[in-house]
Amino acid sequence: MITVSHILSRLLRSGQRRSAQAEQSIHHLQVQADLSEELHVNVELLRNIYADCSDIIFHEFVIGGRTRAVLIYIDGLINVEEIDRHVLAPLQRDNLDEHSLSNIRRTIPVTSITTVKTPVDAIEAISNGRPVLLVEKEPQGLSFGLSEWEKRAIEEPTSESVLKGPREGFIESIRTNTALLRRKVRSPNLKIRMIRKGNYTRTSIAIAYIDGIASPALVEEVMRRLQPIEIDGILESTYIEELIEDNPFSLFPQMLATERPDVAAAYLLEGCVVLLVDGSPSVRIAPITMYSLLQSPEDYYERYFIGSAIRWLRYLFFAISLLGPSLYVAILTFHQEMIPTPLLLTMARSREQIPFPALIEALLMETMFEALREAGARLPKQIGSAVSIVGALVIGQAAISAGIVSSPMVMVVAITGIASFMSPRFNIGITVRLLRFPMMFLAGFLGFLGVILGIIIILNHLLTLRSFGVPYLSPLAPMRNRDLKDVLIRVPTRMKAEYPHAPADRNHERQSSDLWSDSGNGDDST
Amino acid sequence: MIEKGKISSYQLGKMMYLAIIPTAILTSPGITFQYARQDLWISPLWAFTGVIVVLVILRLHHWFPGQSFTHIWERVAGRTVGRTIGAIYWIFYLYVNGIIVREYGEFIVGAFLLNTPLIVITGSIVLVCAMAVRGGVEIVGRFADLFLPAFIVLFLLILLPIIPDLNIEQMLPVMGQGIMPSITGSFVLQIWFSELMTISYLLPYVHDHDKTGPSIWLTLIAIILTLLISNLFTLLLLGDLTGSYTFPFLILARYINLQDFFTHLESLFMAIWVLCAFVKICVFYYVTVLGAAQSMGLSDYRPIVWPLGFLLTVFSLWVAPNYQELAHAISMSVVFAMLTMFLVLPVLLWFIAWLKTSGSRRSQRSDDARSLRGSSQ
Repeated sequence: MITVSHILSRLLRSGQRRSAQAEQSIHHLQVQADLSEELHVNVELLRNIYADCSDIIFHEFVIGGRTRAVLIYIDGLINVEEIDRHVLAPLQRDNLDEHSLSNIRRTIPVTSITTVKTPVDAIEAISNGRPVLLVEKEPQGLSFGLSEWEKRAIEEPTSESVLKGPREGFIESIRTNTALLRRKVRSPNLKIRMIRKGNYTRTSIAIAYIDGIASPALVEEVMRRLQPIEIDGILESTYIEELIEDNPFSLFPQMLATERPDVAAAYLLEGCVVLLVDGSPSVRIAPITMYSLLQSPEDYYERYFIGSAIRWLRYLFFAISLLGPSLYVAILTFHQEMIPTPLLLTMARSREQIPFPALIEALLMETMFEALREAGARLPKQIGSAVSIVGALVIGQAAISAGIVSSPMVMVVAITGIASFMSPRFNIGITVRLLRFPMMFLAGFLGFLGVILGIIIILNHLLTLRSFGVPYLSPLAPMRNRDLKDVLIRVPTRMKAEYPHAPADRNHERQSSDLWSDSGNGDDST
Repeated sequence: MIEKGKISSYQLGKMMYLAIIPTAILTSPGITFQYARQDLWISPLWAFTGVIVVLVILRLHHWFPGQSFTHIWERVAGRTVGRTIGAIYWIFYLYVNGIIVREYGEFIVGAFLLNTPLIVITGSIVLVCAMAVRGGVEIVGRFADLFLPAFIVLFLLILLPIIPDLNIEQMLPVMGQGIMPSITGSFVLQIWFSELMTISYLLPYVHDHDKTGPSIWLTLIAIILTLLISNLFTLLLLGDLTGSYTFPFLILARYINLQDFFTHLESLFMAIWVLCAFVKICVFYYVTVLGAAQSMGLSDYRPIVWPLGFLLTVFSLWVAPNYQELAHAISMSVVFAMLTMFLVLPVLLWFIAWLKTSGSRRSQRSDDARSLRGSSQ
């Protein structure tokens, strides 16, 4: 019993202590305590560890009518039918003289069988849904790869829908996700390293990169940042992102979140590292630049000039979503002379009855809009439409006729709202929406000058920001003319002969250069 | 080395272009016109100071690669003299930057935000500059990368629409009184050309030395051409009225009228001009901070950014009681002070260095230079 309580305290209390020790103690245990030869000692040990865990099943049975054995698994994480058919049935019918582990191994028709040597191994296997078989007079056990649990089917990710292009999305199971990646990149150069983090959750994290494209220094850097992570639980990839990003206090995301395997594969091919976290359908990509956040996979699935045009439209509306209300406030408060006279008269008429200065008016409406958006996002679909009706009435018609806001302001707020929904990545959109408020204040106090000062402060932050060593605004600043072709426009695929900016280590070519002379079939690359 | 960042030669060129043009384009035509009249546009061509300064500085950095201006003085004229001159330089840069910030503030207050206190305008720009300067030379260089296209677009947006309104007769007779008026007019322009001396503080941080020369010469040519074109357009549009405005180029921006719909775009002009003025103030601010840190022997320049920023704000108020006196001082004493610091002293340094290196036989010159360099390390 002393050993049991010892192991128990080691295993379970360690999480509350500094977790470096926890890691060590488990390691320590692994070395010290092997499984006992006595079956009942082992079972007793595990039963104590799994005390009060009603979902753990200890199935005791007899092999071939002579040798006692116990099968331990978590109910709901294994495929019961397969266990019955491929493990229990052959074993019970097994009439060999000696029921050693190697014999049992030969009897059971399952592909993945591993040997379990210590209690820690056993716990690890059981937690992962691998049933563990302990046999009498054997200081070792076997675990079978027969885990199976309920998963979501592969669906189109709702937050990143496209009109054209693949529709599959990552799901919550990391193995399915790595398989999705492997189906895109079949080369053995696609490396997927696996580590576990989280003292209680023991979450698997996969680090995927393409050997030969991604710079080894980058991969090392990612591993170096992942190693020291000590946290109780990892429930979403954001946990990891926050722990390893360059500047945790920045408003701007320094890793790209995507639920699309095609996006992840595209970044892998550009030399980035992809982090997959078990239990989260959104994977993280690093390093990225500002422009990655403003690109949609569809840019590359449309014809290149349409892709370029839409990209420019997106840049324009990105600027509008940041500056729209503040420019309006600045012009209305300080630079009325810029408004053409006929328009000025109309605007003056609509603002005649408004009691607030433009700044207050803008703040009021923008806050209202944000509130409506948030309310709409959290509500069930059926009530959501009610919110939008009420919102349209409150924000639009009623507010104007009540004389609280002017109609041009409603228009500006509406355009800004649409503009902020245009950003293909949700997290950059929300950053910009947040920055809009200080910008409005600056515009209300100093006019255009304030807006410019605000822009300089934001740019200053962006220029100092780095994502895993890559300057956030490159290749625009610092300028690299060669890489600009995929930022300002979306170049035709046949012209993308070189790897883009820093992540790519070696500057070899992406396509065979024969394509240049062979003008006929540019699509047969790869 | 205090600064760990590196910039490219082209970034250096862009920084210097933006460090000279914004104020030159704004105030120089008015002053130049008083002397050069209709030959206003020829004056920028007499960029003697620019040529001499660039020649001298490039030569000095050829002899002492990787050394800042202060360090070269220390090597050539001894520690005491070097330290003293280094201190004088950063204080002078602080003073010059004070003038620049004041000009900036007076321009904004005088033309746009009439009721805003001057200290708010100058204080706010110094604040954002301090943030950029803390980021180091790399960040300032990237700002130059970003803002140069904005400036070029602004410049073209102002000039292209007024082409139909230009009156070619305003520039006649060309050199009516000979060549002298244009040369006299170019006298005040020499301040801006002499500001190219600032590259001496930035050259140690350039990583591609082979491109430095071409890039700097290109910058000088671009500055001359920009001033020539802006002066020419101002003259052809305003004629004799050029001299009666403080900021003639602003009048050009006011003149824009597209389809009677887009009018009075000078606020937009101001907005983009501020971006370029920001780079200008940043460059001078950075050199002040760097020079101060070097002459005080600090290991890092970041701690003194905020204190010097405060000093800079105060200096901008101290340089003159009002704009009239500031303008008077610029065209009189400041010209001589700047020419002394940015032209005469570098030339003197070059001369001493040249004497030292060619003291012995000509064939040994390079060896001497190397040994001189070697003793510095």
